[in-house]
Amino acid sequence: MSNNKKYWKGVEELNDSTAFQKVKSQEFNEYLPAEDFLGDEGLLENSNTSRRDFLKYLGFGVTAASLAACEAPVNKVIPHVIKGDKTNPGVANYFATNYSDGFDYCDIVVKTREGRPIKIEGNKKSPLTVGAINARVNSSVLSLYDEKRYRAPQIGGEPTTWPKFNSTVKKQLAEVLAKGGKVRILTNTITSPSTKKLVGEFVAANPSSDIKHVSYDAVSASGMLEANNETFGVAALPTYNLSKAKSIVSIGADFMNSFPSSLELTSQYAKGRKPENGWMSKHFQFEASLSLSGSNADVRMPMKPSEYGKTVVAIYNYLNDNKTGAAPKVKMAVEHLMANKGESIVLCGSNDKNIQNIVIAINEMLGNYGKTINIDKPSFQRQGVDADVAGLVKELKGGSVDVLIIDGANPVYNMPSEMDFKGAMSKAKTSIVFASRPNETSVEAKMVGAAAHYLESWNDANAVAGHYSITQPSISSLFDTKQFQDCLISWMGMDGNYYNYIKATWSAVAFPMQSKTLSFEDFWNKTLEAGYFSAKTSETVSATFTDKASSAITAIAKIKSSDLEIEFYSKVGIGNGNQSHNPWLQELPDPISKITWDNYIAMNPAEARENGFATEYGEQKDADTINITINGVTFENIPVVAQPGQAPGTLSVALGYGQTIGKSNEVIGFNAYSAMKGMQNYSTDVSMEAAGDKYQIATTQTHQTVMGRTSVVRETTLDVFQTGVKDDFNPAHMLATHEGPININDVDLWAAHPVATAGHHWGMSIDLNSCIGCGSCVTSCNSENNVPVVGKDEIRRAREMHWMRIDRYFSSSPESVEDRNFGEMESPEDNPQVVHQPMMCQHCNHAPCETVCPVAATTHSNEGLNQMTYNRCIGTRYCANNCPYKVRRFNWFNYMGYDKFADLNPAQDDLGRMVLNPDVTVRARGVMEKCSLCVQRIQTGKLDAKKESRPVMDGDIETACSSACPTNAITFGDYNDKSSKVLAASQGNRAYRVIEEVGTQSNVYYQTKVRNVEPNIA
Amino acid sequence: MNVISFKKPTNIFLGLFSFLLAMSLSSTTLQAQEDGEKLFKSYCASCHSPGANQLVGPGLAGVYDKYEREWLYKWIKNSSALIATGDAQAISVYEQYNKVIMPAQPVTNVQIDAILDYLKVYAEAAPVVAVVVPPTVVVEDEGMSGYAIAGIVVLFLILIILLRKVQYIFTAAKAREAGEDMPEETTMTQALGLTISQNKTIFALMGIVCLALFAKGGWDSAFGVGVYQGYEPEQPIKFSHELHAGTNGIDCNYCHNSASYSKSAGIPSPNLCMNCHTYIQEGPQYGKEEIGKIYAALDFDPVTKTYGPNQKPIKWVKVHNLPDHVYFNHSQHVAIGKIACEKCHGPVETYTVGKQYAELTMGWCINCHRETKVQMADNGYYDEIHNRLPEELKKQYLEDGTITVSELGGIECAKCHY
Repeated sequence: MSNNKKYWKGVEELNDSTAFQKVKSQEFNEYLPAEDFLGDEGLLENSNTSRRDFLKYLGFGVTAASLAACEAPVNKVIPHVIKGDKTNPGVANYFATNYSDGFDYCDIVVKTREGRPIKIEGNKKSPLTVGAINARVNSSVLSLYDEKRYRAPQIGGEPTTWPKFNSTVKKQLAEVLAKGGKVRILTNTITSPSTKKLVGEFVAANPSSDIKHVSYDAVSASGMLEANNETFGVAALPTYNLSKAKSIVSIGADFMNSFPSSLELTSQYAKGRKPENGWMSKHFQFEASLSLSGSNADVRMPMKPSEYGKTVVAIYNYLNDNKTGAAPKVKMAVEHLMANKGESIVLCGSNDKNIQNIVIAINEMLGNYGKTINIDKPSFQRQGVDADVAGLVKELKGGSVDVLIIDGANPVYNMPSEMDFKGAMSKAKTSIVFASRPNETSVEAKMVGAAAHYLESWNDANAVAGHYSITQPSISSLFDTKQFQDCLISWMGMDGNYYNYIKATWSAVAFPMQSKTLSFEDFWNKTLEAGYFSAKTSETVSATFTDKASSAITAIAKIKSSDLEIEFYSKVGIGNGNQSHNPWLQELPDPISKITWDNYIAMNPAEARENGFATEYGEQKDADTINITINGVTFENIPVVAQPGQAPGTLSVALGYGQTIGKSNEVIGFNAYSAMKGMQNYSTDVSMEAAGDKYQIATTQTHQTVMGRTSVVRETTLDVFQTGVKDDFNPAHMLATHEGPININDVDLWAAHPVATAGHHWGMSIDLNSCIGCGSCVTSCNSENNVPVVGKDEIRRAREMHWMRIDRYFSSSPESVEDRNFGEMESPEDNPQVVHQPMMCQHCNHAPCETVCPVAATTHSNEGLNQMTYNRCIGTRYCANNCPYKVRRFNWFNYMGYDKFADLNPAQDDLGRMVLNPDVTVRARGVMEKCSLCVQRIQTGKLDAKKESRPVMDGDIETACSSACPTNAITFGDYNDKSSKVLAASQGNRAYRVIEEVGTQSNVYYQTKVRNVEPNIA
Repeated sequence: MNVISFKKPTNIFLGLFSFLLAMSLSSTTLQAQEDGEKLFKSYCASCHSPGANQLVGPGLAGVYDKYEREWLYKWIKNSSALIATGDAQAISVYEQYNKVIMPAQPVTNVQIDAILDYLKVYAEAAPVVAVVVPPTVVVEDEGMSGYAIAGIVVLFLILIILLRKVQYIFTAAKAREAGEDMPEETTMTQALGLTISQNKTIFALMGIVCLALFAKGGWDSAFGVGVYQGYEPEQPIKFSHELHAGTNGIDCNYCHNSASYSKSAGIPSPNLCMNCHTYIQEGPQYGKEEIGKIYAALDFDPVTKTYGPNQKPIKWVKVHNLPDHVYFNHSQHVAIGKIACEKCHGPVETYTVGKQYAELTMGWCINCHRETKVQMADNGYYDEIHNRLPEELKKQYLEDGTITVSELGGIECAKCHY
């Protein structure tokens, strides 16, 4: 297919502005005054530093450096007093555990070195998440080493000891319980059966008192819970099977990111997106702001968030043969759904139970229950019911609550300001908050329990019916911290600790569910090793469907739209804000906007231009600011960003920002939670005005551009792919010669590289069809390779250090002007198609960087790797200038020592340095660095094979990115292993190499993206 | 090894013949000895020497003749039970060696036989001393030291001044005799200047030589920057490798066992020391003082043999300091490369204080990688790598019958720097 599409990274590139042209022509686009200085004789002559001075400094410098080098270092080496059996210095240990913070659930494996957790990866053996992991989970290891963590419990703001803390609480509880007082426990969604049982026992032990446990989700799925309760009598979420769905329709549900069970859904989704299987799911997305899921949709239609309900009703009516008033894309979606009954899924992100009721009715009509959706096997990953939370706030305000205990939630920060939780909380006679670092709620509490990090804790989880898992600590407590559960056990006057309690629960509940193992200890140890236990007897709840559609339709009809609406969404990095203090996540560019370290108001580009706001951003180009009032809450001087794909008449803003980070308590962004109303994730009550100020936005959008080369991205449509003629969708590059066109790979300046058959030949294949752009690989790479955090200011100067980036290209073609819903000419920015392309060093066999290095600091290995030797590099940066893929990064500063980064870079303090991977050098200032294809993992994999006297098996070695990919889009392997997946992938019909025409012979292949769309909609 | 192709068919027959011969002759006894040595090291070596010297327990030389085999089986498998039965020989052995109970060993009779066979062979063979390659570093004649040169220069200056003075005195005396005016005495600088101006060539040559010497000295010392060969820091405990590895013949891997499976060889934790030092409470040189430091670290009471709660680690001074940008893995060299510890660490059994034997410079590493043969035999990993070699490379690399580390890419940057 001759691809006449235009690919652009941002509005800057689409318009090809002069500033953008200037930026793209330079690898290092900061202004260097060398020419001015050296060209101006007057300046040179009047300079204070004479040649003699220069020589003096040089001489002093050389002498000082050599004197300093003469001093022998005295290092201490301190062995264990009593060494454990499996704690061997230099050998990594792995512990299976899980991450469950009420927003994400993930079965994980923690890598520890010398007793310190340093890396988190997905548990590939888990039947639930099958190794999928996201950026939030794999970055959570850094939160363990947060300088600002509580180091001891506090009473009245003063540090105290645990015995004193516990006895004080116990005494106060005893008084309250004696008089039958009111105790309220507020937590995030708890999937732990043991914690629930423990709280249940606490309630049961005090029958005369009024004790209640309330679950609270900042990003609520209450609407779905209530709808399931009304229609099926099950107050839980269903489980899905997207891998079997041929038709996926999502109305405002970002199921790859913030929707409950997003990790399970993501890995399932990828299974249905393999065109080689003969079929591919078709994904329709109706949404206001361009979400991660929307960016991967085959057909996307921007609409206002208030129209979600109407769209759902339109689908429902269409299924009931009432076909009037359905928009063309809605019609297309429904017809596709009807053609795939029982093999489709309709999802909706609305928190309105009426809308969810209709969604349930639609799925029921399509016969999806029991096939692609399962309510018999529910998921417990969101449990917060908004009415219960509102009830608690009302009780608190009434002053009737004696003791309020909060664990794992930060309601003062993330409850809407209309609820005034801070005021309500102050009316509780005693408030006890468990938090791992000071937050908005803990500073208001009378007593603060210094909570243990989840990597220091024992717990268990039951995320989905039948799937039980154990959370085990991978390090003993760094500080004097305890878990809430341990304290509750002590307050209840019970013997033992929470660990024993969990074991007792498992012995009573999970152990009888299996018959394989006879001894409980064996069962426990096996489960601990595996991390999970799948109950053989599938726990099913009986669910019968009751139709609630008619009343819901009446309610939905009352939803009003307005000219300007705003949607609250969760970003891929920050999520619900639980980890907004994590610098890795702050620095992860948003997959859609590529903006780091901020939240902002996103606006349709055409509307931004109408309002006179800047639509292009860079080092010298700032965003405009507005004053915005949402639901009566005003935010001043908020940056506004033009976001292609944003529905006209809508704005969007990310939640989870406005918390403090770093030692100096810098506030990042603003708290959009405070403007929510009734926990609804959009508002129609919005007004804004220009504030007239400028704001510096740190975006990586214009960095590392492709210089207008057209062979970077290849895509096609399913029917073209299915014809099987490779030249139609993935033609070879031909070079025009006097003998006629010749395949580019047959023409070479250099001799063939000897790695072709001998030894190993490492390489990678990246499937653009599976890559959803989630950024999990980026943070995984950061944590594996000690990539420094550089902060907002340096990112604005295009000095981000990420070895791996995900290039997000918008694309538009002349044909896409069809489907004009708004009666006007559609501009390319209104609803562009999106391609996510992971990009890192391509390990070219004929690498342009290697030939220009004056000191041979970058060389080629006989295993096909492009090696970077930091201690040989003198920092000329020629290599970066000569790299067509723009993947080399220069260390401008000593990030772990320089004051400028004291607040951001975790390697600046002893605690944060504990997360560094000891097998990877921490690079010094003035050297180049880049992706090494995780050479440390390759070396370890080879050594393990040698020790076991066997060849390296395909799949043994995984790079940090390939292992973190939730959709398995990245495959790493050995081309010389004839049975390797990567070899097969490189020979497939979809395989191509980026910018192959320049003859770099790179070792990384990409697989052409295939969209499941009819050609006329492409 | 089935991977190396022989050049002539006769070689195959020759090889096959000698192999069969070796097999039929003594493969079984060889096997037993090897097993016996392994078993001895894993079960006995922590308390017994295979020679006559006493460690925790007595040296085992001659036990196979001294006692009945059946009695030995019983004793080794459970000595306390044997003592409890009132066996006279058992009681006398128990009392002879300070009433220290020998722990029961989980070994079979066959294994005990193998161990005893090994002991026999050990005693018969000349005591095996680890072959230590003397350091190949040629110690260069340092020539004159800087002080000597400075001294000579000073002497030379004084000589010039004295000669000038003498010359002046003679001139003055001559003038006085002749009744002429006294000539003016030249200053030191003038004198020096005069000498130089009269002997320009010599001084220029001397200047050049001095400059060249100075430059060479600077160049040589720059190579020594960061090289700490012979570094021998004082340690918190005066631990002697000479006593442990030399006199007592304890295997390196007993204490530094992680060398075979980990990146680092490891410093033994005090609980490992206690395997022997629970009983050996006094050393030959420092008495109780140095061993007492282990007890202090573990809060161990040597009298009651109980451990207290106040344990604190021992802070040893690191001897071998590789730069942070170098990755070195012991197990690759020890377990796969089968490099003897002595190759890099020298004759450790003669060191009273741990010291850095090798230069540990990059040139030193690379030289070894260029010369060392890869241990490809019986390793499935290398079999596969070998199979992948194209014929012409096989010819090129196997001309001398070996593949060196560097031929497999062992001197590429990213083998050690990443």
